[in-house]
Amino acid sequence: MAQQGIWSGTVSFSLVAIPVRVVRAVTPGRISFRLLHRTDYSPLARRMFCPQHQTLVPPEEIVRGYEIEPGRYIPITDEELESVTPERSRTIEIVDFIDLDEVDPLYFDRPYYLLPLKGGEKSYRLLAEVMHQTNKAGLAKFVLAEREHLVAVKSNEGALLLVTLHYHSELLAADASTPKEIRGSAAETSRIKGSIRKMLAEFDPGKYADARREKVRELLQRKAREQAPVTSPHLEAAEEAGPPDLVAALEEIMREVKQQR
Amino acid sequence: MATTIWKGMITFAETRVAVKLHTAIKEERIGLHLLHRPDLVRLRQEMICALEKKPVPTAEQTKGYEVEAGTYLLVDPEELEQTAPEGSRLIEVHEFVKRAQIDPIYVERVYALEPDTTAAGYDELASALQEMDVAGICTWTMRKRSYFGALQASGTALRLSTLRHADEVVAVSSLALPAIPLTEKELRIGRELIQQLTVPFLPQKFVNEHEKKLAQLIEKKARGEKVAVLRPRLLHPTTEDKLLQALEASLKKAA
Repeated sequence: MAQQGIWSGTVSFSLVAIPVRVVRAVTPGRISFRLLHRTDYSPLARRMFCPQHQTLVPPEEIVRGYEIEPGRYIPITDEELESVTPERSRTIEIVDFIDLDEVDPLYFDRPYYLLPLKGGEKSYRLLAEVMHQTNKAGLAKFVLAEREHLVAVKSNEGALLLVTLHYHSELLAADASTPKEIRGSAAETSRIKGSIRKMLAEFDPGKYADARREKVRELLQRKAREQAPVTSPHLEAAEEAGPPDLVAALEEIMREVKQQR
Repeated sequence: MATTIWKGMITFAETRVAVKLHTAIKEERIGLHLLHRPDLVRLRQEMICALEKKPVPTAEQTKGYEVEAGTYLLVDPEELEQTAPEGSRLIEVHEFVKRAQIDPIYVERVYALEPDTTAAGYDELASALQEMDVAGICTWTMRKRSYFGALQASGTALRLSTLRHADEVVAVSSLALPAIPLTEKELRIGRELIQQLTVPFLPQKFVNEHEKKLAQLIEKKARGEKVAVLRPRLLHPTTEDKLLQALEASLKKAA
């Protein structure tokens, strides 16, 4: 699967610098539907639209802006955004290594893979292998989609996985990464432990298929028997395979992130 | 203060623990909008018909499942709604696994759990999970969606994480990473270097500096001041033949 990179730059630790790109590590997975136009069955695409000009706006005509009062914006160019922390906009500098077991899962936000760019393959492989052997993860800060993230870089089966972490100040619940004194009735705790012991297993996420997905699949099978599929109008090849729109891709990620909140 | 978003009952074997789910994270970040460059009008995301190149209002949208390229099985959005699972208040724990087996790639969102109505069993369950270093793999239904997740203890508190399904995670095998041989010397120095640079995880140490600087940049621009454009720092990639040298120099620096 050739995935489009959403960021490219360098991941570094001490004096070693590895050129990489960032790709998504999660896909929607659920049975996905296309939105169609009811009248002509043509697929719909999410695009940026100018309500004033009533036109589609290509990426080169888009600028980011901050609303200082209703309807009034201060435009901020990509170059200015990169200037905010120039040392982090193209570099993921691993400053510390940690035991990932010390990180409360509360901090985990979104996972991405790092993939080596030309010339970085060997040092990439070295970092992945050495982190695997020592069971350590790297800590770094970098800027993705105009936000600075604290990230952990770990090794997953030879790949570098980058997980964005929440900042400590964003935690509403107390961070309990250091175990506190145990409370409660010792007899009840030991009874619960007994039950747990009988239910110990290996983690196998594949076992838990989404029940809803099964239902959707059944609905689709019924539909296939009951009705004929429709065909969308033939579109020019250029339209379907247009150049990937990076702004749209990032907006899509931001939208998903917000939906999860 | 955290608000309760759902209430449920953790259940397995003879254990029942009533809990409330709270949001555990609050992000407050400067929001930027996308504007049209010529007149700084805020842009809207619209669903555009690929044929007519025009925005399509919700009433004219329908859903289709692509059976082959360009051919769709139409599905009424209302029918899809009916496939939503029935509501229930049970968080059913099916099995327990060692905590370290759950890779962060699966962790979607974490909720803090607090005792609901009675505190009975809450502390004991947290202690048992903590001492055995295990997580309960469970399923439940919340807001018309079925979830798969992990019940864990963090200190004396219980946490519930929603987990991604296996088919939502991109497999490493699909990344087609090249297999490149490494020498034992490179690996040894690499390991030593990492050991040298390993520290305890102290999350308080890290603050979002970018956010403050971005606010300053906006203020500056609002006052009409010119903003200096700085070039992003770019590092020279370590080439294959220089890797060992770079590792040795790094180790010397770290020691």
